[in-house]
Amino acid sequence: MSQSTESLMTELVGDLEPVIPLRFSRGLALAMGAMAVAVVSIFWQGDIRADVMAGQPREIFLVSTGLFLLLGLACTVAVVLMGSPRVGAARNGWQWALAMASVLPVTALIIGLSRGASAWAASEADHGVVCLEASVGLGLLTGAVLTLWLRRGAPSMPERAGLLTGIAAGCAGVFAFSFACPIDSFMHTGIWHGLAVVASALLGRLVVPPLVRW
Amino acid sequence: MRTDDETLRGLMASAQGGDRRAYAMLLDEARHWLGGYYRRKVTPDYADDLIQETLVSLHRKLASYDPARPFLPWLAAIARYRWVDHLRKLSRGDDPATDAEVAAPSEEPAIAAKLSLERLFEHLSDAQADAIRLVKVEGHSIAEASQATGQSESLVKVNIHRGIRKLAALIEKD
Repeated sequence: MSQSTESLMTELVGDLEPVIPLRFSRGLALAMGAMAVAVVSIFWQGDIRADVMAGQPREIFLVSTGLFLLLGLACTVAVVLMGSPRVGAARNGWQWALAMASVLPVTALIIGLSRGASAWAASEADHGVVCLEASVGLGLLTGAVLTLWLRRGAPSMPERAGLLTGIAAGCAGVFAFSFACPIDSFMHTGIWHGLAVVASALLGRLVVPPLVRW
Repeated sequence: MRTDDETLRGLMASAQGGDRRAYAMLLDEARHWLGGYYRRKVTPDYADDLIQETLVSLHRKLASYDPARPFLPWLAAIARYRWVDHLRKLSRGDDPATDAEVAAPSEEPAIAAKLSLERLFEHLSDAQADAIRLVKVEGHSIAEASQATGQSESLVKVNIHRGIRKLAALIEKD
């Protein structure tokens, strides 16, 4: 053993302090808690969809929020696991969830291209911008929690960790704001709710990697 | 590795609780394992530096190990991250020893490192592999590599940069 390695190890041993290990269940609970805060804040404002309030949610609401929730969960699980790196661990469940959730924006695009202007008008662009901004904003807490988790951990792929943090945050925001969004159309959900996830993913990909490199 | 993963998990869990004796034993085992790991991947000049950098990372990221999971895959992930970081530094050309780096062909670890690199080079274009091999492995200057390959000097630099970035990405996905 070289002298410098030996003295380094002595220093490291002398510097040892007890730490609290990152546990998957804790990371997941923190992220879910952040998402729950976003949902509660929407209910707190009281501007909830009538069908949800009546206990009879519409089919499109259930399908679209379900898809975004599943994608958000898959990405959250992947990010939490990334905090504790491991060679040989296949973590590509989020890719399948992403493919499934992509059905919504792809459907919207097909409808828009085949039916023309009337279909695009049905996307309700004015309200769409509100959905986009609110969803990205509501997802910020989830994004911050996951970023802090990654900073404590040791993500070995910071760029991918940033992208997945953004997608998870965007999905959390979209899921929460869906309870307030009154518009039921594939055009609106596919384009504007999908764009919110894309915007959040880009934000995560740009902002998170420099914060979690080690 | 001289100790089985189960024992290492126990040592690591004790170290996370602040047990210095267990931590000293763990670091010693980790150093041995890292020696074998890096000697197959980098030339001996770099192996010691990478072992030390990885031990520091292990220390800084002690909390990132989940005691419910195996230890060696975690250590391998930490080591791989440092290796990729090392490759990225090479691609940026901010390593002072780069141009002077010459692998000692008579040393077994250096040969093993070269063989490991050759396997990775199969994923690169011929131009990228030639540029990296000449400058980063054999220690030729950019001008010499340019003359040997027929590439302009700037193209040699670009091929080194892109090739090493591609290698780093390949290793990350592995």
